[in-house]
Amino acid sequence: MNISAMLTNHPFWGLLTLAVLVWYSTVTVYVGVRGFADIKQMLRSLKENHDEAD
Amino acid sequence: MTHFNWLLDGSIVGVYLLATMAAGLMVRKYVSKVDHFLVAGREMNVYLGIASLAATEFGIVTAMYTAQAGYTRGFAGAVPGICNAVAMFVIGWTGFCVKPLRDSGVMTIPELFERRYGKFVRWLSGVVIVLGGLLNMGVFLRVGGQFLVVCCGMNLRYLELAMTVLLIGVAAYTILGGMLSVLVTDFLQFIVMSVGLLVVTFLVLHQVGWDKMVTTVQTNFGDGGFNPFVPKDLGWPFVLSNLLVNAAAVLTWQAVTARLLAAKDSKTGRKVFTGTAFFFICRWVIPGIWGIAALAMIEPSVVEKIGLQFGEKDGSLFAMPFLLSQIVPAGMMGLLVAAMLAADMSTDSSYMLTWGSVIYNDILAPFRKVAWSEKKGLLWNRCIIALIGVFLLIWGLWYKLEGNLWEYLQTTGTIYLASMTVLLIACCYWKRANNWGAIAAIVVGAVLPVLSLSLDLFVKVPALDAAGQALFKDGKAVLEGWAKHNIGEHLVTIATFAAVTVAMVIGSLLKPKPQRA
Repeated sequence: MNISAMLTNHPFWGLLTLAVLVWYSTVTVYVGVRGFADIKQMLRSLKENHDEAD
Repeated sequence: MTHFNWLLDGSIVGVYLLATMAAGLMVRKYVSKVDHFLVAGREMNVYLGIASLAATEFGIVTAMYTAQAGYTRGFAGAVPGICNAVAMFVIGWTGFCVKPLRDSGVMTIPELFERRYGKFVRWLSGVVIVLGGLLNMGVFLRVGGQFLVVCCGMNLRYLELAMTVLLIGVAAYTILGGMLSVLVTDFLQFIVMSVGLLVVTFLVLHQVGWDKMVTTVQTNFGDGGFNPFVPKDLGWPFVLSNLLVNAAAVLTWQAVTARLLAAKDSKTGRKVFTGTAFFFICRWVIPGIWGIAALAMIEPSVVEKIGLQFGEKDGSLFAMPFLLSQIVPAGMMGLLVAAMLAADMSTDSSYMLTWGSVIYNDILAPFRKVAWSEKKGLLWNRCIIALIGVFLLIWGLWYKLEGNLWEYLQTTGTIYLASMTVLLIACCYWKRANNWGAIAAIVVGAVLPVLSLSLDLFVKVPALDAAGQALFKDGKAVLEGWAKHNIGEHLVTIATFAAVTVAMVIGSLLKPKPQRA
């Protein structure tokens, strides 16, 4: 992947493509870690509500 | 010749499918109330919301139409993604409409409408939302199946069977676990989908090269391939109509709104919107790059031949999957197919639940004279989703798409996007808005797109080139729809939004004010 070409040949679309790749890679890792914690918390809350109701 | 290896790649896909089904079915034990089934007990937090919204709004159909936009319009084809991201960020950041909507504690948008416009408008809104949504979703299965056939080299005879098996799998965990299963599987699918999309994009950029892509776009589209304001068939109507449709979709597309309504509170919902906004650029740029790469690497005659194989006049939809079948090696192909299945399953499950929730909550509301028990409510919701699955299967097999996929999705979406958006804004911010204006807006919003679609289907006129001369192909005049030829799809969309706004204002002002005692 030629990054210098992306920065010089039509740089608006080149920069946007690079930003997409960097942002998406970062978010995938970050959301992967934090989202898993969210799932555990959601299921714990639902279980507590269920136990209180019954 | 595709590089899909049934032993190696098939195993990767099989492991993904098993993990998804297990995760989706495992959480069904937490569902004991309709509230859990439809909005996950409103326990969704920010990062799960971002993963779920991103996974829901990216299906195989998304990859196909955004790649088609790259193939037929170059980089300018990705402009709708920029419009979508701007709309979502601004709405999330300001809380415009979404704050009062979430704070109201409703489960669907029509439920909020009842408070301002009455029971009939709630029911009518539900009908319009479900009609537009199901017509929109009706093409998902077929397009998803076509991707798999072209990309994996699967026999065309097995297309229907593959679609049916995929739908049954998705329906199983959605019917049992509702929004809880959808959120958990969405999370898993977001990870698989994202890894696959990123790996394949790096591969495409490495194999084809940036300079070659830019040169291809310049050769085929000139400056119009980079700037949407240059081409005659795009220009400001294209940008404005996409801004309107995407802002409307952020506000009222029930699959998006479902995440807002499942969030813990309006602050969490708004964070989900601002956090996911940039993903909507990724959603158009990544497959758009694949589409441009296909334009650079694949002969147009090959693309046309693949289209004819599916009985489609225009083969541009199949250029991207054909390119991937040629350049993605075995092993990585399994990851790609798993990623695309993940994208498709998360979209299908969310959409089935979404339209099902409107049918249960709003269309069936007049028939619930007394409150139903939780058990009866859950049973009805599950039956509705199963029936939606049957409808999708029949419509997906029967309906043959003509023309540009994104434009079809825009038109069917506009049936309700324009009117529901105007109703929502008026409901939140205009005290004079009433049921007269709401009914007028819904009727106008549904009639104009349907009229335009009908004129395009039944009244054909000769297509003209840039010089105003009739176009010929294989000795026959090329025909196009009347509305497309004389007005243009983008202006029809803009006119619909304008007409709906006028209908709401005039209708509301015509209704006499109630006399004060």
